[in-house]
Amino acid sequence: MRGLRSIFGALKIAIGAVRANPARGILTTLGIVIGVVAVVTTMTAANGLANSFRESVATLGSDVLYVSRTPWVMTGNFFDFRNRGNVTLKHGDELDQRLRHQAIVNPTADTRRSIKYRSKTRTNIMVIGTTDRYLQVSSAVPELGRFITAADVRARKRVCVIGMTLRERLFDRQDPINATVRIGRADFRVVGVMERQGSAGFFGGPDFDSQVIVPVTTFVRAFGGSFRSFDLAVKAPPGESIADFEYEVVGEMRKIRKLRPGENDNFAINTMDSLVTMFNNVMGVVLLIGMVITGIALFVGGIGVMNIMFVSVTERTREIGIRKAIGAKRRVILWQFLFESCTICLVGGLIGLVLSYGVAEAINRLLMPASVSLPIVIVAITVSLVVGVASGLIPAWRASRMRPVEALRYE
Amino acid sequence: MAFEIADVTKNYAMNGVGVQALAGVTFDVADNEYVAIMGPSGSGKSTLMNIIGCLDVPTSGSYVLDGQDVSSLGEDQLAEIRNIKIGFVFQTFNLLPRADVFHNVELPLIYRGLSPAKRRTKVNEAIEAVGLADRSTHKPTELSGGQRQRAAIARALVTDPSIILADEPTGNLDSTTGQEIMRIFDGLHAAGNTIILVTHEANIADHAHRVVRLLDGRIASDTTRKVAA
Repeated sequence: MRGLRSIFGALKIAIGAVRANPARGILTTLGIVIGVVAVVTTMTAANGLANSFRESVATLGSDVLYVSRTPWVMTGNFFDFRNRGNVTLKHGDELDQRLRHQAIVNPTADTRRSIKYRSKTRTNIMVIGTTDRYLQVSSAVPELGRFITAADVRARKRVCVIGMTLRERLFDRQDPINATVRIGRADFRVVGVMERQGSAGFFGGPDFDSQVIVPVTTFVRAFGGSFRSFDLAVKAPPGESIADFEYEVVGEMRKIRKLRPGENDNFAINTMDSLVTMFNNVMGVVLLIGMVITGIALFVGGIGVMNIMFVSVTERTREIGIRKAIGAKRRVILWQFLFESCTICLVGGLIGLVLSYGVAEAINRLLMPASVSLPIVIVAITVSLVVGVASGLIPAWRASRMRPVEALRYE
Repeated sequence: MAFEIADVTKNYAMNGVGVQALAGVTFDVADNEYVAIMGPSGSGKSTLMNIIGCLDVPTSGSYVLDGQDVSSLGEDQLAEIRNIKIGFVFQTFNLLPRADVFHNVELPLIYRGLSPAKRRTKVNEAIEAVGLADRSTHKPTELSGGQRQRAAIARALVTDPSIILADEPTGNLDSTTGQEIMRIFDGLHAAGNTIILVTHEANIADHAHRVVRLLDGRIASDTTRKVAA
């Protein structure tokens, strides 16, 4: 109770001291404000990245590997990849035959076309050609209507399933089912709308909600197939480790591609791991830059506060003398000035937090989903207090060590 | 006995040169005495006042305040002694400029750790005693010199100290106001307080019943006189 009362009293003194010179206090907090904005923005951005990544990765499935001509994350000699033969639909069928009793193989190809409904056109839309097995190798499910069926694939039906964003952009609130859209130069009938999956568009990942999915056979006829390389999604059998299974798939693909022992693979196996690696690299850079900026801003801010605290202590030498003369112990004076520097930093931190909400909102609109969460608020406040203590300690210590006789004589 | 000072010396190093401000001072003050310490500047009276007020410690000799030897205490222990046993009144008032009269008077009690309710009663009593009840929410800048000094006296009184130590309390006041302030001290003495006045003005020292004169760091004379009440 007594401790609480003295903390309260010290807080009142500190607020009074800051209020006695508000312009100086606000200028001093500027460094802290910038530092806290940097802290919050870095953490918000990192959170946003991680969330978007998790969403898009969840769609891909962690027990699925992708056989493609080139790896997703290319390293090494570009021409080695360039000269490889395409992965064809025929390869897909053969792999399916060989793995029939254990795994699901689903071929996909993609291209970019414009899509038109009545007067509305969206350009540069990702068009995916695939089969009904797509549902088994990804977590995507249709929200309206149905997905494409094996019969659609066999009969090369001109049907399509569209993403949620696309539906909103083309149809507003109208019912899209059975509407006819024009993709490239061919007409398709909309049979379904996929559930919203989230976008990973900001770091080169696909925006699943703006895709159109059509039967792979129709895709080949409408957009061409002989020159294309397909991706073969292969879902590992339940219980088998993805690493063991990858070994098996590589073996089968080498037979299909008729590679001799000793020859290098002329195809690539892509897994979630390659995406995770890429993501971690991006994340590492973001965090490193954020931390450097944050560190510099907080350091400069802390120096500013320390400077103003030295000024404050010197200006109030006489006050310190009076307080000591009437019975303030060293610790009381120390706390008084520590509280003052913490108050300055806390005010700066709160201003910084308010500004950060604006920054997060801007990120939200321009880049990716981001919001300031409670743990980030706690971190920001803690950081402000730590800077307050760190920058106030030496001036407060100096104040507490003043000798009362000399402090009282100070003019 | 309020305090006993025995053979106290105080040496300073000033710009590297050793200065002896007190060269062996011995005197006792009994409870409810009214003592003026006089002397020209450089006589050591400020130094003596600092030692009596526990703002400083002697180089050698002993100082027993209220039966307790305080000549070798640490800084925080001295702060506590000052809080409990000494009430300071300064020439320049030394009030906190941003705090109102009530808060200035309350401050020593905050450092003592009293509850707000107890503080309120004592602070109001002290402010009443110096006749400032209608000014308790004013800041020092809104008060006249005499009123400021009354506030400072209230602050000295509020802790019920063993000694009230006044350093040139009328030095910054005109003579009429000075006499008013001195009448307050006279009243405090009559009420049983021990008062030490440090001054170089004879008419101020006249209020005291005993005058100790310092010269060159020594006591030159110590006279007690009978004063008609």
